[in-house]
Amino acid sequence: MNEHYFFPPAKAYPLNRCLFLLKSDPAFVARYAADREAAMEEAGLDAETREALRAFERDRLIALGAHPYLVFMAGLRLRMESQPASFEYF
Amino acid sequence: MPVVAAVACPHTPQLLIRPETEDRELVLRVHAAYAKVKRLLTEARADVICVIGGDHVEGFFLNAVPSFAVFAGTSVSGTFGRYAYTLPVHESLARAILEQGIEREFDLTYSQDLKLDYAFYVPLHFTMPQPRVPIVPLYVNVYLPPQPTPRRCYAWGRALREILDARPERVALMASGGMSHYPGTDRYASPDFDWDRQMLATLTAGRGAETARLTGEELDKAGNVELRTWITLLGAVGDARAEVLCYEPSWHHGNAMVVWPV
Repeated sequence: MNEHYFFPPAKAYPLNRCLFLLKSDPAFVARYAADREAAMEEAGLDAETREALRAFERDRLIALGAHPYLVFMAGLRLRMESQPASFEYF
Repeated sequence: MPVVAAVACPHTPQLLIRPETEDRELVLRVHAAYAKVKRLLTEARADVICVIGGDHVEGFFLNAVPSFAVFAGTSVSGTFGRYAYTLPVHESLARAILEQGIEREFDLTYSQDLKLDYAFYVPLHFTMPQPRVPIVPLYVNVYLPPQPTPRRCYAWGRALREILDARPERVALMASGGMSHYPGTDRYASPDFDWDRQMLATLTAGRGAETARLTGEELDKAGNVELRTWITLLGAVGDARAEVLCYEPSWHHGNAMVVWPV
């Protein structure tokens, strides 16, 4: 068994898809920024998952089946959008 | 033509966009090693760079997760925040790798339509020779279990070398990834630098073939799931002795750059 990166459980597909869109789809990121609740509705997330995503708590998201890498990069991309001046660009 | 260069590079996006959490001097030292790779690729007069990279769930999502894939279009694009890349692809070489790989019984996936991942464009951002040369993106699944075994990666690299050796192009091989890091996990801030240094000692001793005997679990434990891209390249370079251009351990990542004589 892998300790860190595991097979994404099928039940977590909506969550992993939502994290994928937050990481890779600027249009979804814009909808999420404008109306997070509507974006989570669109993504088909259940109540428990929505709560974990609002808090963006890594361990809770992973316990719900989120792929750790997707949690990491969705978080980084959201920071790139919200705090662009906190990065140095090469 | 023989393969004219073989290198391994990191691609962590903090090298492209540096957050305040990253040591600027360390980032600049990694950039200096990239500059050495750029010189090497330029002096090798490569016609094409075959980049062996692990997709970060960007080109392929859970709609399809290929173990090994070849991008066989004419150009490929990707974006990362304010960065946008469109890179020409060496279509005839990509097609030859695909067709001859299948002939050699590697059941490759191919695509002519995907978003290029930063595993490919971050190292090329810093190392692409001028004038730029086309690339062939070669995918190895590293993040979505079950991933291909190190043994299979090594075997695919060996077959790839046979295919390339019969081609007219001067080909540079670049493995993108590594070393130890655990993005998104509770081990993010404690990479396994000891494992990295032992591995680098193995590679500089010319014992790269030993990587084929690693297990997927070992790679996952060591934060080195991406080493599959290096192992694929090692299949192509055999027991050549690696030269380490840099090893820069940051608070979350073993940044390594390595070159092999070919």
